[in-house]
Amino acid sequence: MRRDFLDRYSRLDSPVHRLSAAVKLLVALSVVVATVVIPIFGVAYFILVVSFLAGVAAASRISPHFLLKRLLFLEPFVLGVALLSLIQPSGGRVFATIVVKSTLCLFTMVLLANTTPFAELLRVLQRARVPALLVTTLALMYRYLFVLIDEVERMKRARASRTFARTHVHAWKTLATVIGQLFVRASERAERIYAAMCARGWK
Amino acid sequence: MTTATEVRELQFRYPDGCEALRGMSFGVGEGECVGLIGPNGAGKSTLLLHLNGILPERFEGAPSVFVFGQPVSQANLEAIRRTVGVLFQDPDDQLFCPTVFEDVAFGPQQFGDNESGIRAKVHDALRQVGLEGLENRAPHHLSRGEKRRVCLAGVLACEPRVLVLDEPTTDLDPRGKRELKAVLQKIPTTKIIATHDLELVVELCPRALVMDRGVIVADGPTVPLLSDEDLMLAHGLERPHILQHRHPH
Amino acid sequence: MHIPDGFLDAKTAAASAVLSAAGLGVAMRQARMTLPARRVPLMGLAAAFVFAAQMLNFPVVGGTSGHLVGATLAAVLLGPGASVVVLTAVLLVQCFLFADGGVTALGANIFNMAIIGSLCGYAVYGGARRLFAGLHGTVLAAAFAAWCSTVVAAVNCAGQLALSGTLPWSVAFPAMANVHMLIGVGEAIITALVIVAVAHERPELVEANGAPRVAGVGEGWGGFVLYGALIAVGLALFVAPFACSWPDGLDKVAETFGFAHRAARESVVGAPMPEYRVPGVGSASAATALAGVIGTVVVFGLAFLLARALVPKSSSEQD
Repeated sequence: MRRDFLDRYSRLDSPVHRLSAAVKLLVALSVVVATVVIPIFGVAYFILVVSFLAGVAAASRISPHFLLKRLLFLEPFVLGVALLSLIQPSGGRVFATIVVKSTLCLFTMVLLANTTPFAELLRVLQRARVPALLVTTLALMYRYLFVLIDEVERMKRARASRTFARTHVHAWKTLATVIGQLFVRASERAERIYAAMCARGWK
Repeated sequence: MTTATEVRELQFRYPDGCEALRGMSFGVGEGECVGLIGPNGAGKSTLLLHLNGILPERFEGAPSVFVFGQPVSQANLEAIRRTVGVLFQDPDDQLFCPTVFEDVAFGPQQFGDNESGIRAKVHDALRQVGLEGLENRAPHHLSRGEKRRVCLAGVLACEPRVLVLDEPTTDLDPRGKRELKAVLQKIPTTKIIATHDLELVVELCPRALVMDRGVIVADGPTVPLLSDEDLMLAHGLERPHILQHRHPH
Repeated sequence: MHIPDGFLDAKTAAASAVLSAAGLGVAMRQARMTLPARRVPLMGLAAAFVFAAQMLNFPVVGGTSGHLVGATLAAVLLGPGASVVVLTAVLLVQCFLFADGGVTALGANIFNMAIIGSLCGYAVYGGARRLFAGLHGTVLAAAFAAWCSTVVAAVNCAGQLALSGTLPWSVAFPAMANVHMLIGVGEAIITALVIVAVAHERPELVEANGAPRVAGVGEGWGGFVLYGALIAVGLALFVAPFACSWPDGLDKVAETFGFAHRAARESVVGAPMPEYRVPGVGSASAATALAGVIGTVVVFGLAFLLARALVPKSSSEQD
């Protein structure tokens, strides 16, 4: 898996990237909240939001192909649940509303994620006095996510090259062994990280 | 010469009963560079963890490790950790902050420096390892060699008087090894290097300690020691190529 | 179970956000008090682990697949407070970096998966744990608890969707509950297998948070009472109106405070949902409820058999 599948373009250079993380976060949150709260009849608002997002996307210099791919990847889930809403009177309107609003919010968050390095978002949280335990957990989580995913890939590959049975039960056993091993390795690494933190004076 | 680190009759047993260290004693003078070699399972990493008080988890009885005369005990752990910097084997264990700058700044921050002092130390440390300009990089965007050097910078930023390194050249490609060697050669601090890389020991360390099964089996100048084929083979090692055609004195 | 933006109306999103914030606050206090310093890095690693594990799909029935929530697993291995924080971190990263789960729905998602998932799981685990001794009991209790918490969280989620007018309760409840009764089995099996694997290699991780903490009275109980109250309030707000045909409690509250009432009227859907009736609504929901009761007993039995299969008699006698 690519190392940066979460925020591939967050370190490009563009007018949008250069804005402060706090500003981008605030704008993104405002857009999302407004989009959810404002009724679908406020067509003017929605036209405004669409143009705004399109403008930001263009200014950000992120490949439109990538943005579209991210959106399409997330869309099926939205559509799936939304389809159920059709089973009620005026379901059509509910369905349309959900799809439009959800998609706009998704797009906003994809733009935010890809124009702001996660480390900067963490710093905003710190300045906002979010409790240290949560911030530390988030920071370590982000840092070691890729390390763990790499280990999962390696374990899966090692298993695959040694197994020949293809039963359902076997798939389950493999999955469980991989997950179990993953937790054990994660906890052992956590111990080593603790030692390294203490070695540099952490209390 | 002042004794930087002294170990007296150090013994250690893991909770599962495994006796890792069985009475080791040696001293390292200030400014010396000592190579610690031995087969896998000799206890090298365990010994290194004692040098800055990570082990034992609870201090009982008489102290066995001394740093510039001070015993390593619960009471003065902070002072010991300012003095002794440890570079661990896996850079991923040690590089735990979201950006390079924050990680190198971690030590100075914990030790209470002010902002400008921290920035100065970070820039200085990164310059020493040849990685200026990488301050805002995220760790998962670094190569293995770069990660190692950032970890080293993180330790150097604490301005330790003793530098302890656990397998610093493992997993490095030839260029990575060369770059790290060049960096280490320029650092005048007292150095204790545990490694399987016997060429590194010959090039950097005038003195070598051979460890096997929890005890020191040999202690002396590097070239004669590592040229002693019988000694090397007896302890799971071998005479390095670089010494194959040299006359042992 | 990650609800995207646009599926919840303002009042539901706000109510769940308030409940989540309260629960998270309690959890962080508890974690800070009971977690030793050397376990702090483990929280970050556990969060990375849960995120990575959630990316692995397992086959459920037909072509559908489910994925692990991991809250009960985290609660058994780290304790309930730490588990809430860990799952919250996972949900935050999924929301902000992955757009998986909406920002406005964060309150709801955290309440369902982090809080209900962890605490309901831990409570059931604690209770079931006392019935059988040793590792055998731990595995049985954890598996059963994982199933229960998954289903309860799903039912709560259905309630939130129905309250928002997105889906009628008669559709949401059977859909969410039935699917998650199946997904819950997967969660139970994986939880059991992981606990066994961890118990073999790092037994101290399983023991440290097992029965003793639940059995003892002490700093844990205040937290439990608060958690219990929170979950009760959540269920009362999101599920009770549909289950018991009470008047819509949340709407009444919103009306009193004046803020959400107008927004609710003008929001996504015209007609408030609770009065809506689909022909045959009684039967669909009642059938699901019945399935739930039967399922609980069946799953408990399955968990017993699973634990017996995974933990040989001899080792459970040694405990």
